[in-house]
Amino acid sequence: MERDRSLMERVRRGDEAAFTELARRYAARLLAVAGRLLGSRADAEDAVQRALLHCYSGAAGYNPRWAVSTWVYRILTNICVDELRRRATRTAYDQRAGAGAVAAGSANHRPPGAYLDLHRALERVPREARLLLALRYVNGLSYGELARIRGISVNTVKSQLARGKSLLRAELGKRGAGHA
Amino acid sequence: MPDARIPDPLDRLLTDYFRPEAAPPGLTRRVVAVARKSEADFLRLERSLAIQATPRGVCLIRAGRLEEPVTAAARRLAEQAREEIHEYLRGARAFFGVSVDLSTVPDFQRRVLEAARQIPFGEARPYAWVAEQIGRPRAARAVGTALARNPVPLIVPCHRVWRSDGGLGGYLFGTDVKSRLLALERGTPVLEGCATTRIVCRVGCVHGRHMRPENRVIFASVEDARSVGYRPCRVCRPAA
Repeated sequence: MERDRSLMERVRRGDEAAFTELARRYAARLLAVAGRLLGSRADAEDAVQRALLHCYSGAAGYNPRWAVSTWVYRILTNICVDELRRRATRTAYDQRAGAGAVAAGSANHRPPGAYLDLHRALERVPREARLLLALRYVNGLSYGELARIRGISVNTVKSQLARGKSLLRAELGKRGAGHA
Repeated sequence: MPDARIPDPLDRLLTDYFRPEAAPPGLTRRVVAVARKSEADFLRLERSLAIQATPRGVCLIRAGRLEEPVTAAARRLAEQAREEIHEYLRGARAFFGVSVDLSTVPDFQRRVLEAARQIPFGEARPYAWVAEQIGRPRAARAVGTALARNPVPLIVPCHRVWRSDGGLGGYLFGTDVKSRLLALERGTPVLEGCATTRIVCRVGCVHGRHMRPENRVIFASVEDARSVGYRPCRVCRPAA
């Protein structure tokens, strides 16, 4: 973490090499979170690109009291969440327009292959809980970090994760997926 | 809570599902290139704007020069509009609170402009959609003319109306600005919560001004925010 911070210090001073290194460290994990939240690879890449752009041009807003990862994930989730909001508005319009348009969000979902059941079960989990699950399992972020990323209390994080997982268990159980 | 000593199969499944993905080559290079280019994009537009208001609201926005508003109330409104446009163009505002005065606008055009105001932030609608909204489905062309003469661009979002085939149509400040405005709106979040007060506001609300960047959390809906213990702001009323 210490090395992340000194890297960030250089990014703040506009060091492009430091930024490239920071992006290299985080890009794969950011893509996983964005990909699972947004569904399509193209949207995920766009979100990650915008998040990294924000990390670069908004580096002055980084508060060194925070772990760099907390800050980076906060930026990415903010962008993904807003994208989901926009989709909901657009879907409502498409449906009213009634041109047989499929919801923009689900039309380009990547086939999740072996994880089809889990993928569908996750769609039943409320958005905030799903977000926390993604952050928790992509990077093993701590409850404290999750709380800071979403601006909620540690207790809310715990209850949301527990609720999300129990919903998942119930959904997977219904589908008879082979797990305990 | 499940016993931590026994490995939970659901944990393993989730870890597998959320494993990192390889980033595409050249991603960071693209980001740096965009960062260099996008600085000071709207500065010139903002500087060129003149704003006229009556005591009832903003009535005219144009590039160039206009007469100063006469009354103190009108001056205050023009000043408020300038401030809101400044925040909007910086991506710090997702709605306009200042009132507009369309009382001198002909009836048909006023209905067109009111319909355009119903288009959500960051969205685009075809001219034909506006025509339908005002109950004149065959008047798409007249709608285009009415929007082209929009007295208060930016605040009445005629830039959100495009051609049905995805073409830009025209714009008072040029089609380049029109597409950049929509890109700006797509990059601007609409609902933000404050991590210390647990209040969720529309971006641009007075509360947001006092919010430190590290306390800013974006939400997809008021319902989502409620689900993790936030309440909607009573000033900007994000649920409405």
